[in-house]
Amino acid sequence: MLSHTLQTLRTFMHGDGALLLPELELLLFAVGILLMDFWVTQKDKYWSPALALAGSAFSGSTLWMLRGRVLQSGDLIGVNETLVVDAYFIFFSAIFLIAIALVTLLSMNYPRVSAARQGRYYALLLMAGASMMVLISAVDLVVLFLALEALAIASYFLASSPGFTMRPRPSAVPFIFSSALGSALLAYGFSILYGLSGATNIGKIAAALTRRHNVAKVIALSRQSSSPGTQMYQLLQTRLPEALHLHPYVLQALPVAAVALILLGMYLKFYATSLRTPRETSGANISHPVVLYLAGPCVIAMLAFLLRFLVTVFADSQPIWSRFVAVLAFVLLICGGIASLRQTSPLGVLRAASIAQIGNVLLALVAANEGAFTAITYYLFTYLFILAGALAVLVVVQKNSSNPDSEVDGLRGRNPIMALLLIIFMISLAGFPPTAGAFGRYLVFHALVETRHRYLAWSAAIVALPLAYSYLRIAVRAWRGLGSGDAADPNREAPAPISLGAPEAIVLGICVFVSLAAGLYPEPFTRMAHYAFGQ
Amino acid sequence: MPATLGLVALAAQPLMLSITHYLFLSVALLLVGFVGALTRRNLLIRLFSIELILTAVTVNLAAFARLFADTAGQGFAFFVTVIMAAQILVLLAILTAAFRPCQDLTAVDPQEPPPAKTDAAIGKRSQLPS
Repeated sequence: MLSHTLQTLRTFMHGDGALLLPELELLLFAVGILLMDFWVTQKDKYWSPALALAGSAFSGSTLWMLRGRVLQSGDLIGVNETLVVDAYFIFFSAIFLIAIALVTLLSMNYPRVSAARQGRYYALLLMAGASMMVLISAVDLVVLFLALEALAIASYFLASSPGFTMRPRPSAVPFIFSSALGSALLAYGFSILYGLSGATNIGKIAAALTRRHNVAKVIALSRQSSSPGTQMYQLLQTRLPEALHLHPYVLQALPVAAVALILLGMYLKFYATSLRTPRETSGANISHPVVLYLAGPCVIAMLAFLLRFLVTVFADSQPIWSRFVAVLAFVLLICGGIASLRQTSPLGVLRAASIAQIGNVLLALVAANEGAFTAITYYLFTYLFILAGALAVLVVVQKNSSNPDSEVDGLRGRNPIMALLLIIFMISLAGFPPTAGAFGRYLVFHALVETRHRYLAWSAAIVALPLAYSYLRIAVRAWRGLGSGDAADPNREAPAPISLGAPEAIVLGICVFVSLAAGLYPEPFTRMAHYAFGQ
Repeated sequence: MPATLGLVALAAQPLMLSITHYLFLSVALLLVGFVGALTRRNLLIRLFSIELILTAVTVNLAAFARLFADTAGQGFAFFVTVIMAAQILVLLAILTAAFRPCQDLTAVDPQEPPPAKTDAAIGKRSQLPS
């Protein structure tokens, strides 16, 4: 019995299991962390983050081996043709694993997470990471929906009560509802696609949608009372009887409805990320490391899914959906820009502006050529590190401060290195050279100009001005403080200097290196971006 | 008499519902759910509205699966139902934990801290007829 089970397991691991191994490793480590949590004491509190880092490392090494197999024998398809392992999956999975490692490092010394018995937090991070990897790997609607929901449920817990260390806040409820509504609309879009094609595999759906123009013409002809109409009716009755139930206009309108619903669902999910911040009862923002997780890899996963989905399923109707995407991008850019201007706290600005950053990525999707895909992957990769760096500074500052909303002011006096780093990250997010943010924007605008979307590029550049102002305002506050109001207050105590722990220093070092190196010498990074699309 | 016979004959005929009927039902559920989720402030009603949209998805999938005589659609509908149940469970757990001190399931503005309910307000609410 045991040998039979082992034999079955061995067969699975040599077949479909090998494709799922990076995700399975993450899940195994998550379960291990949960089990370990029962007998961990306060003294052993570093076991859980260490295991989370080890899980990421193991999964990363398996990804590297899969990369060799993909190079050798092309894309690997398995699990009943529902999952694919290709360069795209490997690139984005590597991003997710890096993000898990960065968030774990940032959380190690975070007061609310570093207590003993907080393994649930790290386990959730790993489980959400596995869901993201499945989301990128899936080529079947059922698996896509499962992965989206698994990711959503993990992020509900993480957003409402990170690490289960405090009671879930009612302020997390808008995030949850916006995300749940987005999922429901996405599912409706998926059901329409299934109805149009009779298949759940996105390759088969794409093939069916390509044929739909001809089918619509045939149905329209079959409804005529002439002789060819009768012949066509008989032909349809024998070959495609289900088509007789559909009106040709319905057949033409349904794909548009599906795209609109999917994009609306994605908009609600992106919008939800701006509501993600856990808050104290006083209403102050908390710079929790989990904010990075929800704003970084979760958003990147959804964007990567949207990119693969649109490019694969709706490849032939790109001119139609690119208009929807352009509208969505400008809505996000304008909403994000205005919202960031209204924010006073640095975290609030980052939160609101992250919506506009998603708009920048979607702008590149309008171009949908080789340059645009390079721009998107480069932008997402570098954005993760820039955002991680900026949030790492805020997390460290908040840990040493009483009022999280204003303690960035005059950061230079408390820790000049951190102030300098924050300024570099803000300049990069604002899109000024010689940083990665500037080169990312250049790639996006170049792709737009290449595809004769000059007016879009100019409009995006103008719309991005409030965003740049919001970022630069934080940089100025970090260097000079709020101004005369603070200096004139003689009763104000001088804030204590900020000390930097080793994990935070590692995170900040990696992030500032990528932010500057990808701007000064972008060639290796663009090569990686090319790799993701098999170029 | 002939009219009665006609009605009886009509009632004896099997009611044929085409895919369009199912699509209309599904679109109606979608619209009701979407408007409810956006406009209502009570969180339970919002939750029900989202569930209505997911029910519309299930109706769509079941209808198309029957049209194509395909089991994949039925499987998809089954998954949607199961996920719907799991999601409800998680959302209700979070809502219950989050709103226990407030004793009120009215949505709050994300920019504002949750309103603290005074004892008098809670007492007044409990006296309202159910």
